[in-house]
Amino acid sequence: MEAEPALRMSSARLALLYTALVTLITAVLLATVYLLTRNALEREIAAVIRAEVDDLGDDLRLGGVDRVAATLRLRADSWGRTGAVFLLADAQLQPVAGNLSAWPRDIEAESPQGSGVRMVEFEIEAEERGAPVLHPVEARIERLSNGYWLLVGADTSERKGVLRRFGLATLWGTGLTALCVWLLGAAYARRTARRVREYANTCQTIMQGDLTQRLRTIGTHDEFDALAKAVNAMLDRVEEQTTTLRTAFDSIAHDLRTPLYRLRVRLEEAQLSAAAGHESLPAGMQELIAPALEDLDRLQRTLTTLLAIARAEAQGVTTHHDQVDLAELVAGLVELYAPGMRAAGLEIALDAPDRAMLTGNRQMLAQLVTNLLENALKYVPPGGHVHVRVESSAESVALTVADDGPGIAPADREAALRPFVRVGDANAKASGSGLGLSLAAAVARLHRAQLTLGDNAPGLIVRCVFTTAARRDAPNGVAQVI
Amino acid sequence: MHLLLIEDDAEAARFLAKGLRESGYVVDIAADGREGLFRATEGTYVLIIADRQLPHFDGLSIVAMLRKNGKHTPVLILSALGSVDDRIEGLRAGGDDYLTKPFAFGELLARIEALLRRGNLPDVTTRIRVADLELDLLGRKVSRAGRPIDVTSKEFQLLEFLARRAGQVVTRTMLLEAVWDLHFDPQTNVIDVHISRLRSAVDKGFDRPLLHTVRGAGYVLRDGG
Repeated sequence: MEAEPALRMSSARLALLYTALVTLITAVLLATVYLLTRNALEREIAAVIRAEVDDLGDDLRLGGVDRVAATLRLRADSWGRTGAVFLLADAQLQPVAGNLSAWPRDIEAESPQGSGVRMVEFEIEAEERGAPVLHPVEARIERLSNGYWLLVGADTSERKGVLRRFGLATLWGTGLTALCVWLLGAAYARRTARRVREYANTCQTIMQGDLTQRLRTIGTHDEFDALAKAVNAMLDRVEEQTTTLRTAFDSIAHDLRTPLYRLRVRLEEAQLSAAAGHESLPAGMQELIAPALEDLDRLQRTLTTLLAIARAEAQGVTTHHDQVDLAELVAGLVELYAPGMRAAGLEIALDAPDRAMLTGNRQMLAQLVTNLLENALKYVPPGGHVHVRVESSAESVALTVADDGPGIAPADREAALRPFVRVGDANAKASGSGLGLSLAAAVARLHRAQLTLGDNAPGLIVRCVFTTAARRDAPNGVAQVI
Repeated sequence: MHLLLIEDDAEAARFLAKGLRESGYVVDIAADGREGLFRATEGTYVLIIADRQLPHFDGLSIVAMLRKNGKHTPVLILSALGSVDDRIEGLRAGGDDYLTKPFAFGELLARIEALLRRGNLPDVTTRIRVADLELDLLGRKVSRAGRPIDVTSKEFQLLEFLARRAGQVVTRTMLLEAVWDLHFDPQTNVIDVHISRLRSAVDKGFDRPLLHTVRGAGYVLRDGG
């Protein structure tokens, strides 16, 4: 089963689009959570620092620098807040108390006017399991009223680590989500494409004449099953109607042929017994019976043709898959008709390649060609020319029958392809029932071919183009007027 | 020559039987499929004529059952189903010939004769003689009284078909089927023109015509009237 690129693309595109959308939404969501978390953490640290600075401010007011230094010593020795950083320094930035050994480098003890509060970030060196490690610190520097400097901060390495892990988790999460969505989407798209393709193939088979085929339901009761059920119900109806039609044609054929048969039997009996001399027929009876039998023949031929048209139309598309060489078939028929044409004063010419293979029903195709030739024989006056041409290309086989007879007026061409229309002079002496072209058109339709009537200036040109099996996407054949 | 006619239409059966008896055959009539199958299995007929649509068993089933039981009596199927597909189906089912109702009695007679005489002339024959007309099947040449006659390849096919059935009536439909592989009747009598050309080639300049037209039936190749 070959994939149809357009179909595959459309479902794959959809899957890709959904993947992109879901990824975007997930990324935005996780990024928002990340930013909110970071803000909350920062605000919490800032609040803790502010509270401690306030406490130390109280100590300063109540007991001066000594009390602050005592509190700081106490805090540094005891189990206080983990990661807390304190330093009380004098005006020359010499440490007085706290858990920092020196005033951090690069941080100028300078306070902006007014508030006297400043937030700084720096790194301190610590020793962990014998190796020096840098810890990032965020601190608040405040100049006390006696000119001393107070630094209160927090080790932010843990917060940074949390945020880093959070960020990493966000990236991974987004990526995994995208991957999952894409995998699911691709699987769904494949499944959808496969079912649609399966339906398309089944429909193709049905259009080629196998009305017994049905779309497959898989019992999931999803929209595909619903669609398949609806289409199958429609096909049941079509098949039922086709069967009804076919049965009707068969019984019409039977019901009309039986009385015709008896009629013929009685007439022939009369004729035969007269010939055998058993009974004597009244004078002139023989002359009445012979034309009656001829009329009967004509009636039978019309009936046969009509039923052939009706059956062809009911069938839709031929189920015969014989390989027919149209060039050979047409050559044989032209040879069959050539003596008759010459006897009628017509000239017939044939242009055909060595081979022109197509798939179809040989007898019906022969009937199509025969009808076109008989039409020419009937309608083209003596002295006329009939030119039959077969052309074969990689994609199609074309049959053209052109004459220089009276032709068919453009307005009448469409009607000429319908049953029971005899175009032109209503009193035309031709004995055809006017079914020739409509049977040809019906046979063409049966073979998904295009039968067109055109102007040969002067005369009629009938062209029938058969699409050969190489191209399966051919449009349904329609008889039309050019 | 004992024939079995399986036909549920009493009127038609009566006429066909009458015509066949006048032509020298002995005819038994069976009015439905069951009786027909019974008689066909039990009897020793040279040919069976069976209607396709019958009560109980249709004509095609009768053929199928006969063939399954090892009976190879030729069967001619008559049918009111006349489309090309019906014909082909009938022949594929094992029928030896297929006639669509209504048909001319002459057509039936000609086909019965053809079926009965089938195989009289072996296919390996290389020469056929009818009176002083001689066909060389290998060289595809025709001569009469030693004089070569020019014919086209289609005319040769026509002549060969007639010569293989010399003395037998051959209908237009049989010629269309055998020589042109057409299983439907064209509206015009295209065959007549071919026959008249053939006749002028074969009979012109000779006292005794060989190719005769049988009115209402077809043609026959034979020596004398």
